[in-house]
Amino acid sequence: MNRPITRRKFLATSGAFGVTLGSGLMTKAFAANDPLKVGVVYVSPISEIGWTKQHSLGIDAIKSDLGDKVSITAVENTFLPQDAERIFSEMASSGHQLIFGTSFSHGTPMQKVAPRFPGNAFEHCSGIVHFDNLGTFEAKYYEGTYVAGVAAAHMSKSAKIGFIGGFPIPDIVGPANALLLGAQSVNPDTTCNVIFLNSWFDPGKEKEATNTLVSQGCDVICSMTDTATGVQVAGEKGAWSIGYASDMSQFAPETHLTAFTLDWSSIYVQAARDVAAGTWKSDVRWQGLAEGVVKMSPYNEAIPTDVQASLQELQASISSGGIHPYAGEIQDQDGNVRVAADSVMPDPEIRGFNWFVKGIIGNMG
Amino acid sequence: MRPLIERRTTPSIAITVAAPAAATVLTVVFSFLFFDALGHNPVSTLHAFFVMPLSSLNGISEWLLKASPLILIALGLAIGFRANIWNIGAEGQLILGAVAATSIGLFYPDKESVFLLPLMILAGMLGGMAWAAIPAFLKHKCNTNEILVTLMLTYVATLLLSYLVHGPWRDPFGFNYPQTALLPPAAMFDPLSGPYRVNNSVYITIFAVGVTWFFTKYSFLSYRISVGGAAPTAARYAGYRESTSIWLGLMAGGAMAGIAGMAEVAGPLGQLSPHISPGYGFTAIIVAFIGRLHAVGILLGGLFISLLYIGGDAVQISLGMSSSVTRIFQGALLFFLLAADFLIFYRIRFVKG
Amino acid sequence: MTPRLELQNISKRYPSVQANDGISLQVMPGEVHAILGENGAGKSTLMKIIYGIVRADEGEIFCNGQPIGVHKPTLSRKLGIEMVHQHFALFESVTVAENIAISFGGKYDIVKLSQQVSEVSERYGLPVNPRSLVHHLSVGERQRVEIVRCLLQNPKVLILDEPTSVLTPQAVSRLFETLRLLAAEGCSILYISHKLYEVKELCDTATVLRDGRVTGTISPKKTSTAEIAQLMVGTDLPQTVKKASKISDEHALVIRNVTTSSEDQFGASLNDISLSVRRGEIVGIAGVSGNGQAELERLISGETTLNDAESIQLFEQPIAHLDAGKRRDLGLAFIPVERLGRGAVPSHRLNENAVLTAYRLNMVENGLLKMNRANRFTEKVIKKFGVKANGLESVASSLSGGNLQKYIVGREIEQNPKFLLVAQPTWGLDVGAAAFVRQTLVNLCNSGTAVLVISEELDELFEICDRLLVLYQGRLSQSFQCNETSLEEIGILMAGATAVGSDNTRTSVHASSD
Repeated sequence: MNRPITRRKFLATSGAFGVTLGSGLMTKAFAANDPLKVGVVYVSPISEIGWTKQHSLGIDAIKSDLGDKVSITAVENTFLPQDAERIFSEMASSGHQLIFGTSFSHGTPMQKVAPRFPGNAFEHCSGIVHFDNLGTFEAKYYEGTYVAGVAAAHMSKSAKIGFIGGFPIPDIVGPANALLLGAQSVNPDTTCNVIFLNSWFDPGKEKEATNTLVSQGCDVICSMTDTATGVQVAGEKGAWSIGYASDMSQFAPETHLTAFTLDWSSIYVQAARDVAAGTWKSDVRWQGLAEGVVKMSPYNEAIPTDVQASLQELQASISSGGIHPYAGEIQDQDGNVRVAADSVMPDPEIRGFNWFVKGIIGNMG
Repeated sequence: MRPLIERRTTPSIAITVAAPAAATVLTVVFSFLFFDALGHNPVSTLHAFFVMPLSSLNGISEWLLKASPLILIALGLAIGFRANIWNIGAEGQLILGAVAATSIGLFYPDKESVFLLPLMILAGMLGGMAWAAIPAFLKHKCNTNEILVTLMLTYVATLLLSYLVHGPWRDPFGFNYPQTALLPPAAMFDPLSGPYRVNNSVYITIFAVGVTWFFTKYSFLSYRISVGGAAPTAARYAGYRESTSIWLGLMAGGAMAGIAGMAEVAGPLGQLSPHISPGYGFTAIIVAFIGRLHAVGILLGGLFISLLYIGGDAVQISLGMSSSVTRIFQGALLFFLLAADFLIFYRIRFVKG
Repeated sequence: MTPRLELQNISKRYPSVQANDGISLQVMPGEVHAILGENGAGKSTLMKIIYGIVRADEGEIFCNGQPIGVHKPTLSRKLGIEMVHQHFALFESVTVAENIAISFGGKYDIVKLSQQVSEVSERYGLPVNPRSLVHHLSVGERQRVEIVRCLLQNPKVLILDEPTSVLTPQAVSRLFETLRLLAAEGCSILYISHKLYEVKELCDTATVLRDGRVTGTISPKKTSTAEIAQLMVGTDLPQTVKKASKISDEHALVIRNVTTSSEDQFGASLNDISLSVRRGEIVGIAGVSGNGQAELERLISGETTLNDAESIQLFEQPIAHLDAGKRRDLGLAFIPVERLGRGAVPSHRLNENAVLTAYRLNMVENGLLKMNRANRFTEKVIKKFGVKANGLESVASSLSGGNLQKYIVGREIEQNPKFLLVAQPTWGLDVGAAAFVRQTLVNLCNSGTAVLVISEELDELFEICDRLLVLYQGRLSQSFQCNETSLEEIGILMAGATAVGSDNTRTSVHASSD
């Protein structure tokens, strides 16, 4: 996989290892012909599909863009803040000028490490705090789930959708709401049952959750976790499914309606180019269908062509801003109006979504 | 000539020392074949695994930071294991310790009080003990199986933590993300020195090693519960109470795990989030057994396992090795270590025929 | 005629001992062949080599003239060699019938097998309930299971390791009849025993071992007891010096009308037990294991407690509610039949095992162990009781059964108990060690200690006891003065016949305290 460091270079770097900790002196002092050192910390092992896979594609994009001028260091399977902090710190002190964190849980450690290395660039996916040398980037998942919700409503016979989420955090709660709002734009009676696994990766539990949702009458299953289990089990049960992060049609070719996929390459490549050129500045990016960070994978042939066409149109409208998934009026589970008609939910509220819209069955537990 | 395996009448002291050496030799042989087959230079890989992480002050700091909770928890568990009390729920007790300590850290009125940290240590200890008291009580009164109860309570603890950070304890300024506010500085352990992460909580661990060593070597109480563990019928014959073993075995584990959880929050974490431990409570079981349930052994075992983990990260960074490769290597090394242990209690002799 | 079994120059070395040294012997078809020797003489090792559990370092075994190459128990069974082990190879958690089924291997019909077990056990006078769970069985019952298991296989060579120590005299004669019958049918029998009169009665030939070597191959019927003992021990046999009776009036232990229900369905419950033991007196409880012996031991030792404190008294203090530790504080000591796991912690060293019960002798101060005192105590016990061990730091499980028994006897006696409970004091011990233990008990009693002995060995009880009672199906018989009863009378009671007056045990207590 990522094994660009030769032994000679390893010996050279090992000398610097740890000595420069806390000094921040590494920055921009590299000679022009030295490759740019990029570090990335993945939250799980890189597998065929899923969250980490999509981030690794971003790294691959850097490699193909900058070629010899870049060397990559990747550490997989690092979730917990205690471990992540050590690795960020080691990467920064061993001369990695650009360091990516790919999980919300990397936030606190990055916020601790970044100030100690003011000359290094840190990029944090799912981050909420940014510094002069700590940028954040995030996808508008809800745009994808809204489109998927529309597709689901066209295909659902029971008007019941099932949603499986890893954790009840705003980045999941919001998209679950948008999924239902999209569906309700087609059929206002649609409801959505929600189950949280409290894990990103637990195929056993996810299988159980999928079975439960199907037995509750849901005939479209959308699973925002790091596995394809939801898609696969739904297929076995004859229910439609919606993939997340990667195109998961290979796991249930017949029943996979579409997937809202993540493509971070533009962000990764831009950051690398900017650091190499010395023009990098920390930024807050929140991008979706318009920028191509969120994409819809090819629609299932079972979806009527006119519906497919309307979905394409919907994507274009969302991209252009003509349609906003969180446009009023939106009521919460108890029927209180949370977003008034003729208004759109403000961005900070979207990023902190912690309530369910009307029609969601389930709770945050 | 054919080999014969015999049990030793008394464990060999020479082999006790030589077993780790034998494990090392086996590991080196294995790693040469393994890394070479994967196209890595074995020498530099081993160097990156075991030497490089310790070749800087920061590396040593990280090493101790990770070893400290492992050692602390394993010490407590070992007391229970000697008594045949199988507390495998230290992870849950750690979480409760962290939760209890955080409750003090977040809600104690005087955020700058010098008593804040000592109170948190106490709360962490009591939190872990309270969680371990449930299986102790159930085993004592209803003869339930503590393996199941402690393990199940770990899941309960995880959910409780999840509830707190998603609900009442969520940081009001944290964009609704599931984590608490950062603890005030007075609620945090000071670093041992400078920018390094390892903090004063290692003194607690060092102290615990000493106390545990003394307790297991010299105290009659420890003797009694170890009889209960090695031969329950003999303990009944001698009139030693089983309830002593149950309560002491679980309370020791709970107290130490609780303090370890507190030290994570008041150290590298600084706040609670849904996941606060990389499985320290479970890894400590391995540490306890590698250390043969002996305080000094556990100290070495904890340092070893910690190095193994940190080395695993280090080769990913320095050599770009994938995490699955480092895991295979870690597993193989553990296997050799345990296999070499066999020779302490058994010998292989060659006889004619 | 080709020997059924022949050993040539068998040698086996263990880490600390040469167990067998150049042993040769021949067993003809239909021969009853005794292996005699002290504990540690290498008898058990030799049997294990014959059976294939242990591999000899040197030497060869021939079966029907054919050398046995790589030897294994499965091969033994194919050749028709069956063994009744001294330490039973039974699975604790399943029933008798299932145990036998497991040892046979393959498919089985458990109902049919249970029936066979019942038949065989009845025919040979070895009562065994095929549905009992093994962990509920006493030592004696387990041995019966082993014998029945072997007999079910129609063996060609049957090895019995100290088989009669747990049988009633009547059952012994029935077993001998069985063995003679088997021999007449052509089965060869290897009979390990230390009871010379049994060997003389039963066996055609005897190979005598001492320190792993053959000291003589004799015809026991034609050789004098003294001569055989000399070959075994190397010196003349010690005789137990019976004490002058100095029984005091002071009651050490009194049990009044205790009835317990058994904890498990196959265990025996105790029914209206009354008993008293006075200082300076040795009282024996005879009976076959499984009739409530284990329950009675636990009741007296404190491993089981009762709510009614007054129902058991030790030196006039109510103790029935006290645990074993508190009773020991009052001067009780107990030598249990299970040495490993109960009387001693197998993985602990001897000095650590001293602390187990003898910590009361100043081995603990302020909650801390004083191991130097435990060491001195252990050295004393090892020396005084002739325990053969690799020093005071050898782990208990490394000692032979007899040596560990001597160690535990020594540990308990050296605490100078006021009341001593002993279960099967010489079970599995060789002649010399058994005599020594008996003498020790007698001496202890002479110094004023009250001793209660629970044993299956009637000879032993008659040799050392003042009074005897029989425990049968949870009831105690009346008490008999040893010099006023006979082996036969007690033997009949052990087998379940009622004696005159035995329906009123209280009378017997009063009778005994007169």
